[in-house]
Amino acid sequence: MKLLSDAQKAVVQKDFREMWDVPIVRNTLLIVALLLAVGLPVLFLVIVWAAPANAFHGMDRVAKLLPPEAQHYNSRQSSFYMLTNLLGPMLFLMIPLMSSCVSAVSSFVGEKERGTLVTLLLTPLGVRGIFKAKVLGCIFLSAVITAVSFVALSVSISVGDILLGLPFFLNWDWLVLVFLFAPAITVFGVVFMVLVSARSKSYNESIQTSGFLVLPIVLLFVGQFVGLFSLNARAFLIVSLAVILVDIPLWLLSARSFTAEKLLRQ
Amino acid sequence: MAETAIHAEGLTKIYGGSVAALQDLTLDVPAGDVFGFLGPNGAGKTTTVRLLTGLLAPTGGSCTVGGFSPVKKFREVHRVCGVVTDGARMYGQMTGRENLLFFARTAELPSDEAHSRSEELLKRMDLWDARDKRLREYSTGMAQRLSLARALIHRPKILLLDEPTSGLDPEAARGVNGMIADLARSEGVTVFLCTHQLRYAQDICRHYGILERGTLLGVGDLETLGRNASMHRRAVLRLKDGDELEGFDRGSDGWWRADLSSEEEMPALLKKIVGAGHDVYEARIVSPTLENVYFKYVRLARGEKET
Repeated sequence: MKLLSDAQKAVVQKDFREMWDVPIVRNTLLIVALLLAVGLPVLFLVIVWAAPANAFHGMDRVAKLLPPEAQHYNSRQSSFYMLTNLLGPMLFLMIPLMSSCVSAVSSFVGEKERGTLVTLLLTPLGVRGIFKAKVLGCIFLSAVITAVSFVALSVSISVGDILLGLPFFLNWDWLVLVFLFAPAITVFGVVFMVLVSARSKSYNESIQTSGFLVLPIVLLFVGQFVGLFSLNARAFLIVSLAVILVDIPLWLLSARSFTAEKLLRQ
Repeated sequence: MAETAIHAEGLTKIYGGSVAALQDLTLDVPAGDVFGFLGPNGAGKTTTVRLLTGLLAPTGGSCTVGGFSPVKKFREVHRVCGVVTDGARMYGQMTGRENLLFFARTAELPSDEAHSRSEELLKRMDLWDARDKRLREYSTGMAQRLSLARALIHRPKILLLDEPTSGLDPEAARGVNGMIADLARSEGVTVFLCTHQLRYAQDICRHYGILERGTLLGVGDLETLGRNASMHRRAVLRLKDGDELEGFDRGSDGWWRADLSSEEEMPALLKKIVGAGHDVYEARIVSPTLENVYFKYVRLARGEKET
């Protein structure tokens, strides 16, 4: 059984083309991924690499927060280890979240804003067919961006690991993050924005709303920084399963709210 | 008996429990007909099209388009009908040809057929020279013709057109109307044309429905509508100044008028008048126009005194 019919693939391809053609959407998708996967890690590496040894004030206190296997690292190594294992996951999770939100807003609100959603509804695709094509298209695009970003991030971090004499960064934390947490967040971002987009009048308004989704992730990692709890593979697994549990009813709710009558009323 | 293309039975749409946009619409449009659905803005024409296309769910009654219920068989309805409405725009960043090819794909047309049909429609709509221009560079008239081509891309049996000439200058409007008439003739498409432009409607429609404030006031061909509103063909004669005709009314323009029950009465009537010694300078049969009939219905519905 094919996941998408040829007609639905046409909608997905058209959506991708629109995202590429609209500078604000294209730039947001590219810049967020580039900045978080390459820009910030490289900048951090350059700072850690180039800073004089006496510039790392208070690192001994911070190092106490690190797990036993990292206790013996020097200041440079500890700083980069923190980027990789404490700050890195947060930056990485922003990529699937932002790309899913931005693509969903472009696909749903953009279409509504341009007055082309009604035209799509008048095709033999059907309301469910349009919803499926658009949601799966956004998830696919976010997954591709996330995967490419992860490869880029891996290269950036690996370069740092080699330069600083650290072991290869990939561990169970990252595996759960990449294969479970990121997909769960991607689906959440898309279906949440479909629900929100039904009420918003413009692209900008919807993008502003997506900013609220970043907060829970930031808070999750801030909790770790201040020592409230420690995030490891098990914690990521629990949070990922919780997000998946939220995704299912949210998907059903957004599918149910995506009706021609509701879209016309808005 | 002709197959029914569009059927509505007691179709009703009430918004928010109190605002009746359409009340108890019962209507049959036979296949191959060009049906003019007439009414001012806000009469309920767009609501009717949205109900027929399944974009809205009725609060009462039912309808079928091409034999399918839009509520139960949404996709099948859109396989058999093409729709042009004011709010349904196409993709500005795509060229005219790309737009048509995209909508051909959404209608599951094979690639070869999609290309040939797009080419055929672009030529027919006089858009061939602009086929590779982006839609955002099109004039309103060109965009409207492209919308018509989009609605026809999958060879629908039924066309639902909601004010297809809205916002067009008279020349462009005439061009679009000419194309609609031509399509109905050459492809045998059933056309359901919502408009408030009565002159254009009279040129291309065979039957009419008159809608006012969500209520259907009358339905039929022009003659039936006129007869039901007590409007008949009239014999109109110009006589010598000072002459008088018994049984005729004299208008302010000096012409004499009398109702005819049919055209066949005219020769005998003329013979009788000439035989009675009257000099007839000019004589003609005047039929009520769609505009005359429409306003008569609206006046009667509003309970106004005839002028």
